[in-house]
Amino acid sequence: MTESLLEVRGLSKSFDGVPAVEDVSFDLQRAGTLGVVGESGSGKTTLARCILRAIDPDVGTVRFNSENGWTDLHDMKARDLVPLRREMQMIFQDPFSSLNPRMTVRQIIEEPLLVHGQRNRAKRLDEAIHMLELVQLERDSLTRYPHAFSGGQRQRIGIARALVLRPTFVVCDESVSALDVSVQAQIINLLEDLQKELGLTYLFVAHDLAVVRHICDRVLVMHHGRVVETGSVEDVFERPQQNYTKLLLSAIPSPDPDVPLRPLDRQALGL
Amino acid sequence: MSEAIALPAGAPAVQAADEQQLATITPRELTWRRFKRHRLALASGCFLGVLYLIAALCEFISPYKPETRNVAAINAPPMLVRFFDLDGRFHLRPFVYGYDMAVNPDTWMREYTVNPSKRYPLEFFAKGDPYHFWNLARGERHLFLAKGGYVHVFGTDQLGRDMFSRVFYGARISLSIGLVGLVMTFVLGIVLGGLAGYIGGWVDRAVQRLTAVLLSIPQLPLWMALTAALPPAWSPLRVYFGVTIILSLFGWTILARQVRGRFLALRVEEFVVAARLIGARKMRVILRHMLPNFLSHTITTATLAVPAMIIGETSLSFLGIGLRPPVVSWGVLLQQAQNYQVIVMTPWLMIPGLFVVLAVMAFNLFGDGLRDAADPYNTGGQG
Repeated sequence: MTESLLEVRGLSKSFDGVPAVEDVSFDLQRAGTLGVVGESGSGKTTLARCILRAIDPDVGTVRFNSENGWTDLHDMKARDLVPLRREMQMIFQDPFSSLNPRMTVRQIIEEPLLVHGQRNRAKRLDEAIHMLELVQLERDSLTRYPHAFSGGQRQRIGIARALVLRPTFVVCDESVSALDVSVQAQIINLLEDLQKELGLTYLFVAHDLAVVRHICDRVLVMHHGRVVETGSVEDVFERPQQNYTKLLLSAIPSPDPDVPLRPLDRQALGL
Repeated sequence: MSEAIALPAGAPAVQAADEQQLATITPRELTWRRFKRHRLALASGCFLGVLYLIAALCEFISPYKPETRNVAAINAPPMLVRFFDLDGRFHLRPFVYGYDMAVNPDTWMREYTVNPSKRYPLEFFAKGDPYHFWNLARGERHLFLAKGGYVHVFGTDQLGRDMFSRVFYGARISLSIGLVGLVMTFVLGIVLGGLAGYIGGWVDRAVQRLTAVLLSIPQLPLWMALTAALPPAWSPLRVYFGVTIILSLFGWTILARQVRGRFLALRVEEFVVAARLIGARKMRVILRHMLPNFLSHTITTATLAVPAMIIGETSLSFLGIGLRPPVVSWGVLLQQAQNYQVIVMTPWLMIPGLFVVLAVMAFNLFGDGLRDAADPYNTGGQG
């Protein structure tokens, strides 16, 4: 269980000269869950999208341990990436804009199979039904359009779409932050169950530290596009080394309503 | 679950009753449902449908050919189609009274008085002027004709030509110029706007500048200049297409901007990113994910561009530089009504103007309704 699935080295990306991600390096273990935390604008989403090549990074290498051995994603042409898309997928933040409103649930879930050459209608349908069961949605959802579903249900559809190709690596880009707390818990449990069942590796981007603490085993703390601290969840949450991490941690509300929230002062920490 | 149904305000009637059904209906049905609630737009749509049907069948609907002259009735006022004669007796077959004409010794104008002894019953599907329907089939049946006399529901012009017939022959030209121009506008707008939005870079800049330049030139003088440049020896048909092309050369700019904006907005939409991450090719992303999500809006914009085309044709022909007689269009007809003598003496020559107003208004209302109904989920940016 210590085999690496992903190696990121010196990844940088800037938009119009403004750096969004600077010199980020990390390894991701197979079947592990790496949390990427930080405030809005700290470059978490850009990092996630650079890894999947939704955005082209400026410099740096992303090596992915695919079925056919290690491949460097950064060097590949968009066309050559297509077969690799089977193995790495993304679950999006906004359950309302991540599903095409003009397609039925069946079309949405079957599309990845179609794109990857599954021409057999019956097999595609079987797969779609199986995925719906996995994400615990009713079978009659297939003929419906996304507008008929609630946020949590839509997120389940998004998960089904991401997993229908049986990827090994899944990027969850703030996948639960747009949901109600109770629904969040359901989706997180679903993600955990799926991880066990399918042996998935997650890169979990979030700003909600309580969620990260619950689901991840390693954490990467980002600030202004740079990695400020990295380590196991216990280390980072119990023994933060950096002021920025301490600041973030101080902003987590306690489950006990009598414990007041006392966020640290930015100025005092020199941030 | 109901909170996820992103219907706008004013839809509660549909919402609760058949939520179950709503979940499975297609976007097209949803659009149609919302459009149906827009009564005025629906009525306008029906009106336009009837108008286009009449224009398509104008050889049959109109009692005479547009160039047929009735020398007995020059500048004659509209005739009333009656069921009751002057004695108050009812006749199942509608009829018109013929005119007696006298020249007024003071004004030298022809004055018409109804002569009850000239009772012309209307005959339906009667044989009259032979015509060549759409240059495809010959025929001589007309929807109605007056037996033993003449019928001019909208009166006649200076040469004794039936205005009713001419209005509908004119409708064929004036209404079709809008549609033909629309197709060209649509193609130009989508292709140029799509290229600008998708490729970006210098293509985008070039299209943007071109749009800005075209939009900054006052349209009417430019139209005038371009139509004046059409060779005078051209046949009426070529002039017709020339005018259409000129009108659509300027119509595409707004559409192109809109398409470009949609492309830019949709390109970063998460479901489009999702499609790319699945590994879908460019064409699939554009055709399957982007196009369906802005096409309805584009069609709406295009619908709103039709009345501009109709007005454009009418203006140019009115000024005498668009279509020219013997072609009959609403603008050409209105050109006859240019002097103020008409307003006083023969106001029925302005009836084509009424049709322009009605058609343009109907198109605008129809387009408004379409626009409101076009985006059932209000996604993909602002409308």
